[in-house]
Amino acid sequence: MANNSKNIEVKNLQVWYGPVHAVKGIDLSIKAGSITAVLGANGAGKSTTLKALAGGVKYTGSISVGDEIIDALPVHKRVQNGIVLCPEGRGIFYSMTVKENLLAGAYRNKKVDYSSVLDIFPVLKDRINQIAGTLSGGEQQMLAIARALMSNPSYLLLDEPSLGLAPVIIQKIAEVIKRINSSGITVVLVEQNTSLALSIANYAYVLENGKIALHGVPSDLLKSDVIREKYLGGVAK
Amino acid sequence: MMNQIILGLSTGATYSLVAIGLVMMYKVSGVMNFAYANMGMFVTYLIWWLATGAGINLYVSIAIGIAFAAAMGVVVERYGLRPIRHLSHASMLIVTFGILMILEGLAMQIWGTDYKAFPELVTGVPYVFRGDFGIFVLRRQDILIFSILIAVSIALLIFTRYTKFGIAVRAVSEKEDIAGYMGINVGSVLAFSWGFGASMAAVVGIVAAPKVFVSPTMLTYYQIQGFTAAVLGGFETFTGAVFGGLILGVIEKLVGNYISEGFKATISLVIIIIVLIFFPKGLFGRNVRGRV
Ligand SMILES: Nc1ncnc2c1ncn2[C@@H]1O[C@H](COP(=O)(O)OP(=O)(O)OP(=O)(O)O)[C@@H](O)[C@H]1O
Ligand SMILES: [Mg+2]
Repeated sequence: MANNSKNIEVKNLQVWYGPVHAVKGIDLSIKAGSITAVLGANGAGKSTTLKALAGGVKYTGSISVGDEIIDALPVHKRVQNGIVLCPEGRGIFYSMTVKENLLAGAYRNKKVDYSSVLDIFPVLKDRINQIAGTLSGGEQQMLAIARALMSNPSYLLLDEPSLGLAPVIIQKIAEVIKRINSSGITVVLVEQNTSLALSIANYAYVLENGKIALHGVPSDLLKSDVIREKYLGGVAK
Repeated sequence: MMNQIILGLSTGATYSLVAIGLVMMYKVSGVMNFAYANMGMFVTYLIWWLATGAGINLYVSIAIGIAFAAAMGVVVERYGLRPIRHLSHASMLIVTFGILMILEGLAMQIWGTDYKAFPELVTGVPYVFRGDFGIFVLRRQDILIFSILIAVSIALLIFTRYTKFGIAVRAVSEKEDIAGYMGINVGSVLAFSWGFGASMAAVVGIVAAPKVFVSPTMLTYYQIQGFTAAVLGGFETFTGAVFGGLILGVIEKLVGNYISEGFKATISLVIIIIVLIFFPKGLFGRNVRGRV
């Protein structure tokens, strides 16, 4: 975890998918050791922003880790720099066993250590030789996070870990994220579950249409009427 | 009957080897390699020329040939296919057609079109077994081809189950983009799959050459039957490729023997159609699948 104490700075990030301008010039400042939330409606550009951080899409603008600009690094090299994306929509390898998924996550490591990850997700221990495609939704999401942790990341980029899960499991995932963060891993959390994200984040950005509409610490954002009406379903104060 | 089946299995084992190479390239890169037979043909010519023209030891020539095949596969993938990967599958198929024609043209230019004899790797009297079951004959060439198929199958099994790079190959074949996020260098896996596939084509050329002689079209029929075998097996797993080839070999032999030799090829087409109607995912298809 070489980069642990370095902040990530994103400047004027823009992403095009052919004619679609998905991210239209955003600046992010991700503090080392923090949980930074990225919120927004469907299609706002959240996943695209995370993919750009991980090097999985072409972008313009610049991303730096500490003093080092990483724009030239291809996706598989960013993993070596400690940046790991846990993709949305259960991006696990369905045809492989739980163990093989974890091994794929540790692809860049010299030593493979399953035990610390299995301590966080004991349920996976009992399913270690099960085919991942046959896990329940919650177990698949845990496997996705566990697999990302296998490489000992410094920066974990989580894309909608709560998607499609029951409230009890969402609560569990929130606790896991806090636990991961307190072990020294910087977390960038993309979520549509605004209340969950704001309850654990240190700082949050709200994307609208590929641009940053709002940003601030959760306590301030929670006071904003826009947030309350648009993203928290107009719940009472 | 027993001897017909053994002969069928022996031919079928060659189809299995063709299918293994095709499936590897297809699973990882998503491209059906139309140039497969000609890659094997070209390398077989090269080995023939090294061994008979340049006077190099046959086994050394074979080693050089297989290494050359692997390099050819890697170069074709890296410089012929990868630059147009983002365009369309059709454009990559056209590239493999182009390579098919280039290799055929080159072979004709360099070595001409007359058939060349290729040495048998093993010779000697066949083993004959007698018993209650009757008499059956096992040729030494059959033992060689079975041994190659078994060795390749076991090596693949160990590779894809127990090695990190093997897991990476499966990861890329299921979800290429996500494999990249795991730190897997997708490009090197693509290159590997083509290098491996082309080496299999060379192996097929070497084992087939003593029987069919070396000529520009020597492996065309093998490619068709290997493709049929792969479809029979579901175009998905190496196990499917192996059994698809063996089953096809036996069916072909029995049809050739008891119905008509001329029907052999037609029958395989009929088999493809029937399998696709009743088993859209092949006889060994799985529900959880990677690239289709
Ligand atoms: N591969 C792609 N090709 C073309 N357009 C894309 C692609 N991926 C995303 N887009 C478009 O880019 C925009 C942003 O997509 P993105 O996935 O980043 O949104 P998101 O904020 O993550 O949405 P959601 O909450 O639904 O996951 C959308 O309009 C989407 O249609
Ligand atoms: Mg998204």
